[in-house]
Amino acid sequence: MLPTSHFDTDGFLRDLSDWNPQVAEQIAMTEGIKLEPSHWEILELLRAYYLEFDSSPAMRALVKYCALNLGPDKGKSIYLLSLFPGSPAKIGCKVAGLPKPDNCL
Amino acid sequence: MLVVIRHSPYGSSLAKASLDVVLAAAAFEQNIALLFLGDGVLQLIPHQESSALGKKNIGRQLASLPLYDIDSVYVDAEAAARYNIDLTTSPVDTQSISTGEIHQLMTEFDHILGF
Amino acid sequence: MILHTLNAAPSSPAFNDCLKIARAHDALVLMGDGVYAAIDSAEAYDILLSCGAKLYMLRTDAKAAGISTPGAGITAIDMDDLVALTEEFPRQQAWY
Repeated sequence: MLPTSHFDTDGFLRDLSDWNPQVAEQIAMTEGIKLEPSHWEILELLRAYYLEFDSSPAMRALVKYCALNLGPDKGKSIYLLSLFPGSPAKIGCKVAGLPKPDNCL
Repeated sequence: MLVVIRHSPYGSSLAKASLDVVLAAAAFEQNIALLFLGDGVLQLIPHQESSALGKKNIGRQLASLPLYDIDSVYVDAEAAARYNIDLTTSPVDTQSISTGEIHQLMTEFDHILGF
Repeated sequence: MILHTLNAAPSSPAFNDCLKIARAHDALVLMGDGVYAAIDSAEAYDILLSCGAKLYMLRTDAKAAGISTPGAGITAIDMDDLVALTEEFPRQQAWY
C-alpha cells in the first residue's frame, strides 16, 4: 500500500512515477471500483493519451479517443460511466495515475 | 469565438493560458477557432521537447484539439514562411491564410480573445 | 470593424502584427509604449498613418512619455473615451 502522503487532497498521485498496477488497484478501491479487464483497457488508453498529448483528457476528448481506438461501442459516455461512475475522465485519470484533467467540469 | 495566439510556446505562460481557455470553452460546446499570428506560429514547430524545462508540451497538447472537435485552426502564412516552418509537419492540421484574409476572419466572429 | 489597442513599442513584433492587420474602418488606440508611434514624422508614425484606421492615443500615457503634441491625425483620449470606444466596437484585439 502506498501511504496517503503520496496522494494529493483529491486522491490523485503526486508523482506519476509511483504508479503501477497495484497502486491502480489501491486507488480504484477508494473509488469503490474493482478493476476488470474492461477497466484496464480504458486505463491503458488513458495512459497512452497522456503520453501522446501531454495532458489528461476531459470527458469529450476521452469519449472520442475511445471511439477512435476501441471502436464506436466503447466510445460512448454511457459505456465509460458504467466503468467509472460519476465522472469517468476524472476517476479514470485518478486510477491511471495521471493528473486531474484541467477542464473537468 | 476566435482565439488569436501571438506568442511563442515557452517564452511566457500565455500559450498554456490560451490552451486552458480553448479547452474549457470546448467543454461548453462553444464554436471555437484558433488563429496563430506572428510569433504564435512558433507553437506549430514539430517535435517540441519541453520536459527538461518542466513545462507541458504545447505542441503535443495542440495535437489533441481535434479530439475536442476544434478543427478550425488558421495560420498566418506570411509569419510561417518568415520562420521557415513546414506546416505539413505541424502538430495539428491548419489552414494557411494571407495577411489580407486575417482581418476578414477576425470580423467573422462575435468575439476575439487574444493571447 | 475592430478596435485595436496597441501597447507595444514600435520595434516590437506586436506593433508590426497590429499594423499588418489594422485598416480603414478600424480604430487603433496607442497606449503604454505604443504611444511612441505618435512622435510626429518618425518612421513608426508614417506606418501608423498609412494603415487607414482611426487613430487615438491615451493622453496620460503620452504625457508620461513626453509626447504632448502627437502627429496630425492622432486624437488624444481619456479613459472614458476608451470605454466609449469599447462599447462601439464589439470586436477588440489587444496587441502587447
